[in-house]
Amino acid sequence: MDATTAAGVVGNLAAIGYGLAAIGPGIGVGLVVSKTIESIARQPELAGRLQSTMWLGIAFTEALALIGLAAGFVFAA
Amino acid sequence: MSRVTNITDLFKLVLKQGTLLSAAIAAFGSAIGFLVAGDAGVNSALIGAAIALAFNALTALSIWAGSKLALGGFYALVLGGWLLKIVVFMILLATLKGASFIHGPTLFFTIVACVLGGLTIDSIAILRARIPAVD
Repeated sequence: MDATTAAGVVGNLAAIGYGLAAIGPGIGVGLVVSKTIESIARQPELAGRLQSTMWLGIAFTEALALIGLAAGFVFAA
Repeated sequence: MSRVTNITDLFKLVLKQGTLLSAAIAAFGSAIGFLVAGDAGVNSALIGAAIALAFNALTALSIWAGSKLALGGFYALVLGGWLLKIVVFMILLATLKGASFIHGPTLFFTIVACVLGGLTIDSIAILRARIPAVD
């Protein structure tokens, strides 16, 4: 009897993986955006620079999401 | 390399370098994929590079287009685009999973290589850019 059967889990475990791959970057992007809005509220004249710097933050969190979602292709049972 | 001083030039630079890098990774990945898994490896490398390039380019495009809008529009475009991309990516992967013309590990490693390469290009371009605080 394998671990999944023993734990009484039914359905596709990959669905949990997809959820986990989305939740981290979701929190990350939320933080990036909230801090950028806060910074623009403090110094509106820096909006342009803050937005282009935000691009970097979004790109990095997005990379985690892409890699997490694609991981199913190599680590599938 | 001359330093870019506005977000449109930055966007063009990132897009150009990202496309070149993805093409190089697609060619290299195809060669390795062919040795490992034959035609399926070539398909996987090309699809992986195309997906990663589309995602990097869409992030850059949303920031560039959003920078021309008011703050609310900027966030709607960037975050809405992000959400849409993740959903499309999930659907795409669910469709590709188990397909006979795909070699999973080749697809995965091509995507990872392109994403990491794209991040490097983004980082270098943004750190080198001298965008004035006031337009």
